[in-house]
Amino acid sequence: MTPPSKITLRWTDVSREKLILIGNPNVGKSVIFNYLTGKYVTVSNYPGTTVEVSTGTLSAHGKKFQVLDTPGVNSLIPMSEDEKVTRDILLKEPKSCLVQVIDTKNIRRGLLISLQLLEMGLPFIVLLNMWDEAKSRGIDINMQTLSEILDAPILKTVATRKKGLEKIKENLQARPPSSISVNYPDVIEGGLSKITSLLPEATISKRSLALMLLSGDESLAEWLHTNLSENNVLQIEKIRQEIQVHLADSIGYLINQARLRKVDEVLSKVMGLRGEAPKSISSFLGNLSLHPIWGIPILLLVLLGTYEFVGVFGAQTSVKFLEETLFGRWVLPPVATLFQRFVPIPFIQEFFIGPYGVITMALTYAIAIVLPIVGCFFLVFGLMEDSGYLPRLAVMTNQIFKKMGLNGKAVLPMVLGLGCDTMATMTTRILETEKDRTIVTLLLALAVPCSAQLGVTLGMFASLPALYLFTWIFIIAGILILVGYLASRVIPGEGSDFILEIPPLRIPLISNVIVKTLARIEWYLKEAVPLFILGTVILFVLHKTEVLTLLERAATPLIVHFLGLPAKVTEAFLIGFLRRDYGAAGLFVLSKEGQLNSHQILVSLVTITLFIPCIAQFFMMIKERGLKKALWISAVIIPVAFGVGGMVNFLLNIFGV
Amino acid sequence: MTKESEHKRGLHQRMGASVDGVEEDRIDELLELVWTLREEGVSDMDHLLETTQDIEARSILRKMIKDDLFEIEGKRMIFKERGEEKAREIVRRHRLTERLLYEIFEMSEEEVEEEACKLEHILSPGVTESVCTFLGHPPTCIHGKPIPRGGCCAKFKKEMKPLVTPLDELGLGEEGRIVFIAPKSHQRLDRLSTLGIVPGSILRMHQKNPSYVLQIGETTLALDRDIVKNIYVKRV
Repeated sequence: MTPPSKITLRWTDVSREKLILIGNPNVGKSVIFNYLTGKYVTVSNYPGTTVEVSTGTLSAHGKKFQVLDTPGVNSLIPMSEDEKVTRDILLKEPKSCLVQVIDTKNIRRGLLISLQLLEMGLPFIVLLNMWDEAKSRGIDINMQTLSEILDAPILKTVATRKKGLEKIKENLQARPPSSISVNYPDVIEGGLSKITSLLPEATISKRSLALMLLSGDESLAEWLHTNLSENNVLQIEKIRQEIQVHLADSIGYLINQARLRKVDEVLSKVMGLRGEAPKSISSFLGNLSLHPIWGIPILLLVLLGTYEFVGVFGAQTSVKFLEETLFGRWVLPPVATLFQRFVPIPFIQEFFIGPYGVITMALTYAIAIVLPIVGCFFLVFGLMEDSGYLPRLAVMTNQIFKKMGLNGKAVLPMVLGLGCDTMATMTTRILETEKDRTIVTLLLALAVPCSAQLGVTLGMFASLPALYLFTWIFIIAGILILVGYLASRVIPGEGSDFILEIPPLRIPLISNVIVKTLARIEWYLKEAVPLFILGTVILFVLHKTEVLTLLERAATPLIVHFLGLPAKVTEAFLIGFLRRDYGAAGLFVLSKEGQLNSHQILVSLVTITLFIPCIAQFFMMIKERGLKKALWISAVIIPVAFGVGGMVNFLLNIFGV
Repeated sequence: MTKESEHKRGLHQRMGASVDGVEEDRIDELLELVWTLREEGVSDMDHLLETTQDIEARSILRKMIKDDLFEIEGKRMIFKERGEEKAREIVRRHRLTERLLYEIFEMSEEEVEEEACKLEHILSPGVTESVCTFLGHPPTCIHGKPIPRGGCCAKFKKEMKPLVTPLDELGLGEEGRIVFIAPKSHQRLDRLSTLGIVPGSILRMHQKNPSYVLQIGETTLALDRDIVKNIYVKRV
């Protein structure tokens, strides 16, 4: 959980007025944010992308607004961390301009949020976004009437094509809030009036606060304790329990029901349906990709396409060009000559262009080997996100994840993990319970190779019979499922419900995908390259001080006798901790030099795939799960990695395959 | 010996020392026992007397024969029309109640047995029909034994669709209006409600495998089976 105080630090800039974007998940808030601020945030056709609050600046009416892009919400009575973040922003930001973004075809759910904003007494503008999609489905909204009912300006927009967005600025004037209200069952109304009399003035209406409290919103506890006397807090809880005793259903549920009735009443006045939507090709494909039978070939096709692009084009063709031609012929020789001529100090020469040199090793690995692979992967992942295929993947794989005590939602961080495990560890936040997050973090660290490592691994298997690759896949997948299964039984806590919204399949906007890919590559360069350099420097120091030889000797029983690998592989494992792919790349070089036979390649690859994640991921694990859990996870991984590696070696020797 | 009849014996033990007012219930219990034994292929009177724990079973049986509920042929007991009718009703009430308590109220099997044994004596024919219709005229009880059909079931075959079915029984492409949601947890209920899944909303079953996919308005949702089967709908 992100403590609210930390968020405050990050986005509160008291001096400026704020413009807050709010809305259901996946309605286009981030696209609008990009338009308003000219800044880039990751936008995708997949709910839950905005885990952090993004901020930017907008100039209008001679003022500068600070624009906040909030995580998507389905209710302002928080049910998830995202929703809590958004609600807290509303609670702490008085006098800001609110812009609610609604997916027009899902207006019912959007209006559920509008009603809550109205109840809070906050004025806002409504953007009926994705107007084109709604229109093609025969949905028609009477803007005039809706605007009168909500007492708020309403704009039609198609954010991805920038239609209608220019009018946002014109409508940013402050207005008095509307007076519409929802009537709740008498018992609840009674409780509301009792609670409101106990509450202090706040940025949002007392009635809305009372509604949250009645729903048993635990996330308000902190706010309550700072703003109310202990006695009043207890009294409120007593009122709530008294009411709940008389009701079979939860109060929160009854409140939502009353709100939805109101929404339906409003909709009956403003919404017209003009017949059935015509069946489009994209909805046909969308259904096909979910189909229990047809979905599987589509899934395989997607995987094959990904492999061809990332594994073949990225990891083989591009790497070959970059490493051998670009670096090997054009960059490194002149650089080497340069150093030899102008820096006659051998130590410095070696530091930059020696076998553990910053340029020869770190930059070559980072730019020539890893970059093309992650770049290709980010591009494919961006296409999958924007087309809306990812949630469908979650549906197709739900059954498998069930075996691991998880559900299909876990596929999203797992697939992202195939790109970059560090990034994926961060996105485990989209999972609802701490148990789910812990299991996925563990599995990411243990058995999900990132694209760079995967690319190098596939490259090494390319020189061996296909059987080796399949054995590797079989072992890694087996360990993944087995450890997941055991972890779900050992780790206490509850798994989460599988409730996932599936957006329509869309043709991705290429410009959007490219911008997103570039942003991720930038992130990779900033995050990874320094670690590559750091790793190389550490290795350089270890080499110079002969510690490397000592470590290699110390690890000999393990590496040489247990795993049956040459002592030099120790290096790969050591740097593997700095970056996993870096370690794999080390193995790659060894195998190319003919220092590993086919058995040894299999054993070393199994071990390094399972081996502890890179240092960046380790730091991310500490950040997301806490130091204690991160250490526990490592304590599981190390014996599993070497144990399985040793077992593979043992079995290979016995059967003498 | 099934759990059902095992439990029955226990109950009889407690009812053994009853007063005359409960006589009717004891007759019901014996009728039910005769019916269940017949389902197991046993109609031997001695076997019945061994099975029941009602210490006065013999005299009650005599009274029942006198009342023209069944007759004895050798050692075999054969229902007469009135007895058959009465027994069918009581078994039907018992098994329908079991289903109601087990599926809708999610009580444990033990509790269900206890309650069903009491309720079977007091449900009126009208209420029984309502329960049957509400449950969608289920053919079997929770132990898989047949529930004797009632008048409402025959009518249903011709003209009525079951009133309420679990959402997972909705066919592909069929639509249902949510009647109620049996809550596993309040939190789940709240979460579903923010997505528009509340009584009154109309859902369309889009797909059942590999996960349940439902359409509500223009929103497509994927859900787990254990959530879906707790949502009860009326076909529209």
